[in-house]
Amino acid sequence: MADRLLLLLPELVLFAGAVLVAVAGLSPRREIRRALPGITAGFLLVAMAAVAFVHSGERAAVAAVLTPMPALTGWVRLATCGIAALLSLLTVGTIDRRLEADVQAGRLDFNPLMAGRGEFHAFFLLSIIGLLLCTSATDLIWLFVALELTSLPTYVMVAMSRPSRRAQEAAMKYFFLGALSAAIFLYGFALLYGATGTLIFSEMSAAFAAQRAGDGIPLVANVGLVLAIVGIGYKIAAVPMHFYAADVYEGAAAPVTAFLGYVPKAAGAVAMLIVLGAVGWEGGLPEPVLTTLWMSAVLTMTLGNIGALLQKSVKRMLAYSSIAHSGYLLIGIIAGPGLGITAVILYLVAYGVMNTGAFAVLASLERRGREIEDVEDLAGLRHRHPALAVALALCAGSLLGFPPLLGFVGKLYLFIAGVEAGQVLLVVIGAINSAISAWYYLILVGVPILGAPTARSETVDAVPSRWPRVAAVLAAVLVVLLPIVAARLAPRIDAGTAVRAAPDPASAAAARR
Amino acid sequence: MPILILIVMAIGFAVVNTVATHLLGPGRGGQAKESTYESGMNPFGSARRRFNVRFYILAMTFLVFDVEIIFLYPWAVTYTKMDPGSAEAMLYLGRILFFIGTSVIAYIYAWRKGVFRWD
Repeated sequence: MADRLLLLLPELVLFAGAVLVAVAGLSPRREIRRALPGITAGFLLVAMAAVAFVHSGERAAVAAVLTPMPALTGWVRLATCGIAALLSLLTVGTIDRRLEADVQAGRLDFNPLMAGRGEFHAFFLLSIIGLLLCTSATDLIWLFVALELTSLPTYVMVAMSRPSRRAQEAAMKYFFLGALSAAIFLYGFALLYGATGTLIFSEMSAAFAAQRAGDGIPLVANVGLVLAIVGIGYKIAAVPMHFYAADVYEGAAAPVTAFLGYVPKAAGAVAMLIVLGAVGWEGGLPEPVLTTLWMSAVLTMTLGNIGALLQKSVKRMLAYSSIAHSGYLLIGIIAGPGLGITAVILYLVAYGVMNTGAFAVLASLERRGREIEDVEDLAGLRHRHPALAVALALCAGSLLGFPPLLGFVGKLYLFIAGVEAGQVLLVVIGAINSAISAWYYLILVGVPILGAPTARSETVDAVPSRWPRVAAVLAAVLVVLLPIVAARLAPRIDAGTAVRAAPDPASAAAARR
Repeated sequence: MPILILIVMAIGFAVVNTVATHLLGPGRGGQAKESTYESGMNPFGSARRRFNVRFYILAMTFLVFDVEIIFLYPWAVTYTKMDPGSAEAMLYLGRILFFIGTSVIAYIYAWRKGVFRWD
């Protein structure tokens, strides 16, 4: 119990933060309301330190016993807290913008019933808690609750992100399709429970091992696994659950879109790894599961990239690019232990940073208080906002996988993992897709840097707050610097990726308390 | 095949029961019997009146404490059977205090939000 509580220290820190932020957002004092994103970022940094504390020294061994895959719990939590701190900078000044402006100008008295900033940041932190909890899920119920804790706040965040009908439409779509996906993977979980007679992953993998040694994995378990994968695929926007992405990403404000690009995706990837870890990659994934993942990976990459080619809106383009990146992630998920899980973790971090950077640039620009839409709006950005133009070019280059940027390192590990796992054809398709994606990423590099300013792009201004710009520059710096660290981190992450075998009954019982 | 029989039986049971009630029931009406059931109160006015949104917010706040009571009852029944000094009892006490703490925070939040202001 005490060990378990210690392991969840970062989540507890963030929970305290969420509560504080929710109440502080109702304060009649403007300075306190203004400080909310800063408080959120502060709690995320404290949680980051808590992750480092929990996974250092002797405590690391204790943490390793309690979690399904120690590397996930350690590294994904650490990276998530960092990326989320970056994301919280993007939200400065977006929520309640009109209300705060009216209050400041004296046109309106501050009314807590109308304010939403505190709630927004509380939901932000709660969703992060959900993702952190996913990484240490030891049974299906925990995993389900953690996944839903990740998703439910995001539906509200999309609706609150800006006062427009499109945001509400996006939230509606996102919510209903999200409920559908939850029903699908929950049904899958139920079938898995029926097939193995247990909810706990370590016991489940023992049951699967026995079935493999006997008559093979039964049909019920295979159907359950396929449903679980397809349902969780919604979180990472993988085909066939990808169709919401473009509309939802476009409808939400840019800071929330950046959030949607990383947090649910990371939760989905982690959940898939944990569920597949219960079956085990050793001796091959069951045939129907492998086929589903394989088809999903190929279709996700291809549809994502082709969809992105057809877009004129930057946000829709990045939404389809986000779908394509989920396809790359699936290569690592198919490859499994050894390099696969390491590659997935590295890629999640890389994608989180570069995606945040790209959306930070979008969040920093506006035309008369409205978000910019088209690629044309970025033309000649270099002349007016050189730092933003360079940051966007670096992040887009990294998303493309241009060496030596961060995205290249992530993709390299994924492809190596795929080849080592014998999925050469899949890697070749991935490489072809990378080449296709060059077309639209190079537009994002070229238009701001090389393009001449047009009458249309002259009307684009930077937002009043400087923090989104700071986040864009920070992300660009990380995109350049992290590859140096990544090569040294990879072996350390690798050490923690082994799927834990069924523990002895005593410690399993202790873990359950 | 057994499933088919089960389906036919289930549907048949429902249909037969509904039809039988209609045919065999005495069917005595009356003004009191046909009026809307409002937990024993006499219904008045139309049911399609609009309420102020405050009522709903207040009802949600009520739910927080309603659910809390549901959890407190079984807790109280088990806790009295425990040795108050033992580590397990302390753990149980800590858990329920944390739980109550969360609802107190919910209460503070609702109060600051102005849910109880009625002007």
